[in-house]
Amino acid sequence: MARLGDWIEARTGLKTAIGHALDEDVAGGARLRYVFGSVLTFLFMQQVVLGILLAFYYSPSAASAWASTAYLNDQVTAGWFLRGLHHHGSSAMVVVVILHLLQVVWAGAYRAPREVNWWTGLAMGGLVLAFALTGYLLPWDQKGYWATQVATGIMGSVPGGEPMQQVLQGGPEYGNLTITRFYALHVFVLPISLTLLLVGHLALFRKHGVTPPVELSEAELRRKTQPFWPNQLFLDVLAMTACAAVLVALTYQTHGAELYAPADPASNFVARPEWYFLFLYQLLKYFEGPLQIIATVLLPGAVAVMLFALPWIDRAKSRRPRDRVVALSLVAVLMAGVTALTGLAMAEDASNESYQHGLEVAEKEAARARRLALEGVPAAGGVAVFDNDPKEKTRKLFKEHCATCHTIEGHGGAEAPSFDDYGSRAWLTGLIRNPRDPKFYGGTKAHTTMEPLPVETASDAELAAVVEYVLGLGGAEVAGTLDAGLVAQGKALWDGKLECSGCHEIEAGKSGTGPTLLGRGSAAWIARVINDSSQPDLYGDTAEMPKFAGKLSPAEIESLAQFIGSQRAASAATP
Amino acid sequence: MSPETASRRGLLKLGVGVLGCGLAAIPAVPAIGYVVHPLGRERAAGDFLAVGERKQFGSTPVRVDLHADRTDAWSRERDVKLGSCWVVEREGQLQAFSSACPHLGCAVDFDPAEVKFKCPCHRSAFGVGGDVEAGPSPRPLDTLELQEEGGLVAIRFQRFRQGVPAKEPV
Repeated sequence: MARLGDWIEARTGLKTAIGHALDEDVAGGARLRYVFGSVLTFLFMQQVVLGILLAFYYSPSAASAWASTAYLNDQVTAGWFLRGLHHHGSSAMVVVVILHLLQVVWAGAYRAPREVNWWTGLAMGGLVLAFALTGYLLPWDQKGYWATQVATGIMGSVPGGEPMQQVLQGGPEYGNLTITRFYALHVFVLPISLTLLLVGHLALFRKHGVTPPVELSEAELRRKTQPFWPNQLFLDVLAMTACAAVLVALTYQTHGAELYAPADPASNFVARPEWYFLFLYQLLKYFEGPLQIIATVLLPGAVAVMLFALPWIDRAKSRRPRDRVVALSLVAVLMAGVTALTGLAMAEDASNESYQHGLEVAEKEAARARRLALEGVPAAGGVAVFDNDPKEKTRKLFKEHCATCHTIEGHGGAEAPSFDDYGSRAWLTGLIRNPRDPKFYGGTKAHTTMEPLPVETASDAELAAVVEYVLGLGGAEVAGTLDAGLVAQGKALWDGKLECSGCHEIEAGKSGTGPTLLGRGSAAWIARVINDSSQPDLYGDTAEMPKFAGKLSPAEIESLAQFIGSQRAASAATP
Repeated sequence: MSPETASRRGLLKLGVGVLGCGLAAIPAVPAIGYVVHPLGRERAAGDFLAVGERKQFGSTPVRVDLHADRTDAWSRERDVKLGSCWVVEREGQLQAFSSACPHLGCAVDFDPAEVKFKCPCHRSAFGVGGDVEAGPSPRPLDTLELQEEGGLVAIRFQRFRQGVPAKEPV
């Protein structure tokens, strides 16, 4: 082993090179307060490794971005963990960037002769945010899509920003070019830029050394000096381990990163940026119209200029904090402002019911999309995943063939009865009270025979009994939900006082003026109506609906009947 | 440097090494299973795919494309081309050969003049019965399962390991 080491050393000088890199005196000794830069370097390296791993499965195009992310997250071994670590790693970087900045400000390390070091650091902090912004869009899910729309929208609303916005997103709208651009920025441009800046930052750090506590005298600094390797590096690695432990725990606890439903430009998603951008989001609420630019450009710009100019703003003779009240106060006010705005944004969302509701809907939609994606996403990608849902196919069928006349789930025509709540007690009650209501047969031409049943003829209680009886004719599908007493009462009214039996038969094979109601509301009965509603025991001569037997396959008719019949279940489930 | 400082520093160095390895393991260990995915997952045997009518085929080999639905990692594709095969009648029986050369997978072509299947890459040549007549191919052309029903021909598409004498499905 030693001989192999010597051999390599003789040919490459590797050992000497590593020795040079590690051989550095830390004036005043190793300290925990110096760990932040190293932790950031570690986090960046880990993000690079994780990013490369994600690229093994991620595919940057509008059709495949969401599908490949869902595959990576939900089907590839440990995919959720590596993606989760990458996601939370970006939050960790933001946190540690802030800690690093605060430590540098407190120590006065931005002062001469370390200004260039300070500026490279600020630039890297900006890059970290750019990483977060570009990475957020890549899964092409609802959250990333809509939150990034806001960010690029802001860019476009700034004077002269529109061409920049169009270049960034590859045209006036989001699409393939937006993804490929964000991908190129996120995995090539930003990492290379950050690496170059980091090299400069580290070289300058080696040139100037640490900024030790100001209380220590020259003599003390010399006396307490320790080598970087292993004393400081041990503390650094200890801090990295603590950070990594938090990240792993967070990743396990959240089961990785969220992935919402695929981006749907037609939806209205409750878009929020990642938590570290919430302060900007909140700030935007206070400046409207022509003043918006204050929140989007002027204030953030002023903060950037202030930080950049900090070495000149600070005219103090010494690094002692009490001599640097101006610089320290500026940064303190900035941090307090950011924290307050972030807190406000979170508090407002927590008490915003429509946001909470939107979030709930979004999470359900996400779970559904990801469950359907396990079967593979249709080649069109993205929202096409919902085509895997048999119900979605039926919905499409309904839209094509039925929705011109019938309404379901709030959409459709009014020339025939609406199926919203079809088969519920309320629907039947409404129908019997007033058959010519636009919701029922009001839009039809021929269905005029059945008379309205006013309260004077049948009280609400009596009608409820009849409705229960009619529901019961539907058969096995509703049997469990019936009130037997009401049914018996309803039967008596049906045959007796209300004379329903004069027009409606309730036995198979018999036909009256109105449709025979045996099996009414069951999928089989609905399917018979769809096949041919003019059968004598259905609507007979008064039928206006086209016959679908032969136009649609038996399986399609069956699925449509199930779908319409299930509107009862849907309405029963949500009282 | 005192011996005490030296031993303390030795301990710190050990600590850096141990913790450093632990940090590297966090992404590295899960990455192993992640990168080799989907190795070791059972692949369902494909269905028989219709390729045409019985009367289309005779003693001269005919190349047919095989179409089917396919799940390719995350995407589900309808009716895509999976590959092709040669169908030929021999002694009244239809036979199907995978068009992939068993040597290294180039697509073999039929040369009607010489009545041979020929691989364009490394000069392997096969008789109409699939036997190796020349070149480096380690085994005859791979036969595919074929079904005739009601005048229609269907073939089960499969690929086999390349470069080995035995025919092993992959």
